Amino acid sequence: MPDSEVVFRVSRYRPESGGRPTFQEYRIPYRSDMVVLDGLNYIKDHLDPTLTFRWSCRMGICGSCGADVNGRPRLTCGTYIRDMRKGAVTVEPLSNFPILKDLVVDFDDFLDKLASVRPYIVRKDWGDLSKEYIQYPEDVDAYRQQSLCINCMLCYAACPVFGASPEFVGPAASALALRYIRDTRDEGGAERLARLNTKTGIWECTFVGECSVVCPKEVDPAAAIQTLKFLATTRHMRRLLMPGSASR
Amino acid sequence: MTVHEYPARRRRGWWLRNPRYLAFQLREAGGVVCALYGLILLNMLIQLRDGESAYAAFLNLLRTPPVLYLNVVLFALVLWHALTWFMLIGKAQPIQFTRQPLPWKVVFGINVLLWIGVSGAVVYLIFGGM
Amino acid sequence: MHADVAAPDEVLLEPVFWSLFSVGGFITAFLLPVMLFLIFFAAPFHLWPGDPAAYATFLAHWKEPLVRLFFFVLIGGSLFHGTHRLKFMLMDAGFKGPAAEALLDLILNGVAIFGSLGALYYALRGWLF
Ligand code: SF4
Ligand code: FES
Repeated sequence: MPDSEVVFRVSRYRPESGGRPTFQEYRIPYRSDMVVLDGLNYIKDHLDPTLTFRWSCRMGICGSCGADVNGRPRLTCGTYIRDMRKGAVTVEPLSNFPILKDLVVDFDDFLDKLASVRPYIVRKDWGDLSKEYIQYPEDVDAYRQQSLCINCMLCYAACPVFGASPEFVGPAASALALRYIRDTRDEGGAERLARLNTKTGIWECTFVGECSVVCPKEVDPAAAIQTLKFLATTRHMRRLLMPGSASR
Repeated sequence: MTVHEYPARRRRGWWLRNPRYLAFQLREAGGVVCALYGLILLNMLIQLRDGESAYAAFLNLLRTPPVLYLNVVLFALVLWHALTWFMLIGKAQPIQFTRQPLPWKVVFGINVLLWIGVSGAVVYLIFGGM
Repeated sequence: MHADVAAPDEVLLEPVFWSLFSVGGFITAFLLPVMLFLIFFAAPFHLWPGDPAAYATFLAHWKEPLVRLFFFVLIGGSLFHGTHRLKFMLMDAGFKGPAAEALLDLILNGVAIFGSLGALYYALRGWLF
């Protein structure tokens, strides 16, 4: 039972014709339990089937429904329309990314960055794979926070440094590097720090901190990057002062 | 059919769109102002070497009204830089003294108390008290 | 394959300057405000009995090694902190690319290093030589 109407201003971009993205307005019936994604789906089902956006789980876990809602990156499935400012709800594609169509942006470059920090357990020798690699609860606690990342890219959309230099490895990839560095089973720490101790790595970060504000999973990538700077520096100093030491 | 990707670009005036971005820019500016004061203090030592009249002229220049009021603004930026620095220490905590990280507001509070103590110590140890 | 994207070269100096920047951040945050207050505002705004920065007063204090150490640390810390911030502000404003960054490093790190050496010289002068 709709209580009233709400106006959605949605950014449209048509890849066939190019040009600049434009806004299109839709009026949709509104109930107080609706999230922004419900509004978009209403538009797609009833008003305009050409509107294109990504979503899958509707429960904040797949990370595909991110968009700038009223100027701030959010998961559209986790953002209630009633919590938005009164009046129109403005939905735009995530900032700082190339736009493919309407609200769909191009993440390919992130996948390369993610791969470059080796987001999986690295071991020099896997040895006997039938043996268990025991993890105690405190071992898991060490990386639990960073492991919650759902690759939603809201942190990249919030990062002005990434906006100015797209080659910056960025918040989520860094947080995931830390997640594996902190894993007691992992042996790839030095390799990851070597990747991050580069011009396009963690040193570009100026600790704006907005990534941690917008992250829907409280991964706190900003703090992760500062920790990585500290780890990379200690590793670097050790190598400068003791060039022969075992850590490469 | 050719398909055009709309290129990524940062919005113009991005730092005016969100008060936290503005706070960040002011913090960065405050950091740069610190370097400016570093040079001014260095110059103060040079004037000190050059004797009383040079030193007094330098100090008076710093205290002429236009420079003085500019200093008030720059001083506000330095204060903002200091306060945000204490916040950042709480938010990053690369070195932890406790098993679980402390809430950032606690770290901020400890730092501010420490700051007041250090400032008092500077007044007495460096400038010989009131 | 994604996983074998060639890793970019490691940087050698940035960790060093970042460390100095961080140490400088602590130094400026803790020491600079009280210092500026005493030198610039205490006397002109009548917020303090006497003038802590007056020539005779300051010269008397300047004899002490602790005071000299304080000024050296404060000047060096502010310079390394502020020039690093300025470098990243300028890079953000579009001053990017290998040549531009090399120039920024040269000028800004140069100011920080020579400024600190200058402060060290004055801190030791009349005391060691
Ligand atoms: S760190 Fe947070 S905001 Fe960034 S991709 Fe992961 S879950 Fe999303
Ligand atoms: S639809 Fe899966 S996170 Fe929103």
